[in-house]
Amino acid sequence: MFLKNIRLAIVFMFLLLGAVNAFAADEGGATARQVVEKFQADLIAVMKDGKKLGYAGRYDKLIDPVSNSHDLTKIARIVVGKEGEKLSEEQQQKLVDVFSRLSIASYAHNFKDYSGESFVFDSEEETTRGGVVVHSHFVIPGDKPVKFDYMLKEKGNSWRIINIIANGVSDLALKRSEYTTILQREGFDALITKINEKIDNYSKQ
Amino acid sequence: MPMNRPHNGNRSVKMKHIFPGMLIGVLVALGGCATAGDIEQQTVASKTDPYENFNRKMFGFNDKVDNYVAEPISNAYKWITPQFMQTGVTNFFNNLKNVNVVINDVLQAKFSQSAEDTGRFAINSTVGVGGLFDVAKHVGLEQNEEDFEQTLAVWGVPQGSYLVLPILGPSTARGIPGSVFDTAANPVTYIGMPVQLLSMLNARASAEGALKFIDEAALDPYVFTRESFLQWRNNLATDGKSEASLDVDGLEDESLDGDKGSASEQGSSGNAGASNKPGFALRLDAKTKEIEQASHSFSSVAQSFDDTAKSFEEAGSKVDEFKKSKRRR
Repeated sequence: MFLKNIRLAIVFMFLLLGAVNAFAADEGGATARQVVEKFQADLIAVMKDGKKLGYAGRYDKLIDPVSNSHDLTKIARIVVGKEGEKLSEEQQQKLVDVFSRLSIASYAHNFKDYSGESFVFDSEEETTRGGVVVHSHFVIPGDKPVKFDYMLKEKGNSWRIINIIANGVSDLALKRSEYTTILQREGFDALITKINEKIDNYSKQ
Repeated sequence: MPMNRPHNGNRSVKMKHIFPGMLIGVLVALGGCATAGDIEQQTVASKTDPYENFNRKMFGFNDKVDNYVAEPISNAYKWITPQFMQTGVTNFFNNLKNVNVVINDVLQAKFSQSAEDTGRFAINSTVGVGGLFDVAKHVGLEQNEEDFEQTLAVWGVPQGSYLVLPILGPSTARGIPGSVFDTAANPVTYIGMPVQLLSMLNARASAEGALKFIDEAALDPYVFTRESFLQWRNNLATDGKSEASLDVDGLEDESLDGDKGSASEQGSSGNAGASNKPGFALRLDAKTKEIEQASHSFSSVAQSFDDTAKSFEEAGSKVDEFKKSKRRR
């Protein structure tokens, strides 16, 4: 009888511990891999309804998934590089704002419908300076798969995407070259005008 | 953050395998053109692109050729040719390219891949009716992308400066000898005119998606094409193992310190000095400057050719070492 009680007590303790563990995982924020996989799942879901939603619908549905998984403020800062120092507070805020809209718009434009595509997780590695790279690939039926590598950094207690490398082409490096060149050659207002033009074009198709 | 499509660096890249002879003629013709354009401030933003002003002009020229000649013809081709025939044509040329791929597999000491690619060529040439059908893909033999430029990279030849060639599009100092060899090793070169034309047409038609993507996504199409081309080539040469592109930390650092801004400031202060002179003198001055610049570009292009040739010689000894180490194994 005494033994049985002890056993019950142990089982009870384990159950309790289990519950506490589950709580802890919830509060500690998602891991880098979870952030990427959540975002990919959201993207596929939008693609599946893509035709029905139309561009505006896809854009609305992607606002939260994109802003919650990407560190858009940091991306916008890196993308203008040293030229960013010359921008006023107001200009920087405007850039972040317009850049965020461009990011969501380009997802809404480029992932417009579904024909059996899926994301597959490959591996995960830590970089020297506390970042994490999640390697995955995008399977397109009847076509070569596209490699997608996500670079994430910790922000608060969760991970955020700051770069995407598709088949070896780094989106961040590409944008950085473009944005700094335009800032040098044509200035801030021209950059904002060009970004707005792109958003406009994306919404038209 | 928007996606980069798999082949977005492709702007008329495929065309560079054809007609390298045309190059010289057009180069000479454009030597004159280079003096005609508007004068721009010199902002050398990229170390791999010291001839940006020249390259931008060439890029603009290529864009016009594409808009007025290549694109209309390509659209007509796509309109009159059924999809299955277009696929067949693409398969046919891809299959012939495998001769080239196999040679380069061997030169890069990728022996098992060379066996696979030989198998791929054999299957598609026979069961695939002379390469019209890509049967090998369905047995799990994917098309590999290997060429002489990648072989040179593996041998340690430095990439050299970025160059936009007339008609042929983006290249590098290393890419030019690379494509000369590629052209020589590709059977299409020896078939004759109509087939070569079809090959060009097919290359332009296949690049349609990539070109459309550039139009849609690029804020500065020139920079977009350059960066994606260089990264794409680098990724191919290292077979996707290049970690350079993962290095965001490096980018962050650069945004804090760095000497990039100074180049443009120097350029503008030079112009400010000249603006004191009367307008006519200014124009004249600017023109001669431009001519000097263009000729300077050419001589430094020649210089980087010399460098490349030198590393060629070094590469020769590296190949010998390669062979030795293989034998030892």
